[in-house]
Amino acid sequence: MNQHARPVKIVMIEDDEGHARLIEKNIRRAGVNNEILPFANGTEALAYLLGPDGSGEVSSGRQLLVLLDLNLPDMTGIDILERLKSNPHTRRAPVVVLTTTDDAREIQRCYDLGANVYITKPVNYEGFAHAIRQLGLFFAVMQVPEAD
Amino acid sequence: MPISKLAVIRSTIAAFLIGLAALGAIVATTFWLVSETGTYTRLSMAIRLQRAALVDLRILLQDTETGQRGFLLTGEETYLAPYDEARRRLAAQIELVRTRLAGVPEDTAAVARVVEIISGKLTEMQQTIELVQAGRRDEALAIVRTDRGRVLMEEARRLFESMVANAEQRIADSVARQQATIKWLYWVTLLGALVIVAVVAGATWMAVVYTRQLVAAQREVEALAAGLEERVRERTADLGRANEEIQRFAYIVTHDLRAPLVNIMGFTSELEASLASIRAWFDKAGVPADDPIAEDARLAAVEDAPEALGFIRSSTRKMDGLINAILKLSREGRRTLRPERIDLGALFEAAADSIRHQVVEAGGEIEIAPGLPTVVSDRLALEQVFGNLLDNAVKYRSPERPIRIRVGARSEPGQRLVVEVEDNGRGIAAHDHDRVFDLFRRSGTQDQPGEGIGLAHVRAMVRNLGGDITLASQLGRGTTMKVDLPRDLRKSLRSAGVNAREPARETSQNRDDRG
Repeated sequence: MNQHARPVKIVMIEDDEGHARLIEKNIRRAGVNNEILPFANGTEALAYLLGPDGSGEVSSGRQLLVLLDLNLPDMTGIDILERLKSNPHTRRAPVVVLTTTDDAREIQRCYDLGANVYITKPVNYEGFAHAIRQLGLFFAVMQVPEAD
Repeated sequence: MPISKLAVIRSTIAAFLIGLAALGAIVATTFWLVSETGTYTRLSMAIRLQRAALVDLRILLQDTETGQRGFLLTGEETYLAPYDEARRRLAAQIELVRTRLAGVPEDTAAVARVVEIISGKLTEMQQTIELVQAGRRDEALAIVRTDRGRVLMEEARRLFESMVANAEQRIADSVARQQATIKWLYWVTLLGALVIVAVVAGATWMAVVYTRQLVAAQREVEALAAGLEERVRERTADLGRANEEIQRFAYIVTHDLRAPLVNIMGFTSELEASLASIRAWFDKAGVPADDPIAEDARLAAVEDAPEALGFIRSSTRKMDGLINAILKLSREGRRTLRPERIDLGALFEAAADSIRHQVVEAGGEIEIAPGLPTVVSDRLALEQVFGNLLDNAVKYRSPERPIRIRVGARSEPGQRLVVEVEDNGRGIAAHDHDRVFDLFRRSGTQDQPGEGIGLAHVRAMVRNLGGDITLASQLGRGTTMKVDLPRDLRKSLRSAGVNAREPARETSQNRDDRG
């Protein structure tokens, strides 16, 4: 990640605290030390990403990477994806959908809406840990653009 | 009041018969009258001839008397001409009267008497004429003065009058009888016409009422049929919705069960990792000999905790397997079917190829009946269904004999096809015939790996294709699986009204149920 400019923040929207913890642990194990901001519901996450007024201007100048679960208590991750990708300030932020759903239509829909990566959480832990660590390695090399 | 069909037929026939009878009566009466009229006419004619004959006879008799009187008065032969003329014709006329009045018994006596009188009178007149011709005029007048001729003549006149009156009376009677007949005809015709009109009116009324009833009944039937179709559609849609709801439910539940399972498995692994470092520390530092607490801690780290974690792990793995099975079932139910023309023979050959080496190794054989039909169905589902059945046949073969698998098909009414997969394997006990199709249920000796998912999955797929699966089996003898399928999936999909299904969307509403 672009370590020299402003540090990239990882916004993790995940309602299951256990999952959040496991994801964080495994990303750290991959050597990613960026700040991880966890949100347990969609409303708070959107408030952070788009600001209280919903304009998205708060994200201007931020470098964000969004880890998104689709199953949230107050809205679906697809709603959040749609809002982020249709907002001029956040639309370039990479969004990684990380969820248990492996329905083909759901996956298509997320990519149609502009998701950058879609990962199904493997149920067995070895697979899960491996996938997250791979993702962490991926984060380490990817360029994240600065929001307008 | 509703009229039954039988009543209509009965009353129509009755009306027809009554009308026919009335018409028949009219016609019969008319014929009778015509013949009667002929009879009366002939009778009147005869009576008139009788009367004429009588009158002529009287005139002839009077003519003879007139001629005799003139001759007696004048003595001239010229006056005798009418007498001679009449006398000459009398005999024939008498014969005529006799003949004509032969059929009138009441006048027979009078006729006989008249003939006697004429005879007597003629004798008297001839006597007087002959006396005058002989110049004995006084004697002749004396005979006349005896009044015998006059008396005879008056009697004859009375008899004639009586007979003519009789004849006239008979004519009057005949006319009266004819009148009576005509009156009869009049009434019979009138009554018959009334009956016919009444019958026709009744039949018409009945026909109208019955037709109205029929029309009303037909409308009712149409309305009911339309309502029934509508209800069937509603019910089918309800069933489709209920089915979709169950599948969505299964899908969501399994998904939601997975999330905590990820945590359990994840943190179990984390715990194991932590335990490993504790164990490493114990290995390195060792346990002080006089410290029972440290020894307990070592045992916990080395034995108890790994054992507990092992159970947690195996249980979660099992649970994961079950959840995956349910997920697979619900996903199969939600899959959009793609009907296409499939040659069952080719499909079975391909399925048999994948198990053939196993069968041949065991010295067995697979026999696929030639000429298996083609069906329009979902290829993937059929491949899975029949592949699974063939796998089971191999998997649960009997160790006592070489395996034999036979595949056949037969048509059933209603555009259906029954495919049979028969084996000589170990069979399924009768009490398990239904159970084997249930999820996570298995039958017989549990010597083969498996979770009891295969046949449940097969049944879900077959039902999704609009079919059903049953089995016939004898323990220790073999099993026949019977898959009943529609020949054309498109038709059964259309009638069920569920062609393409929307995937179950995980919306925020069904997320709310989560704890």
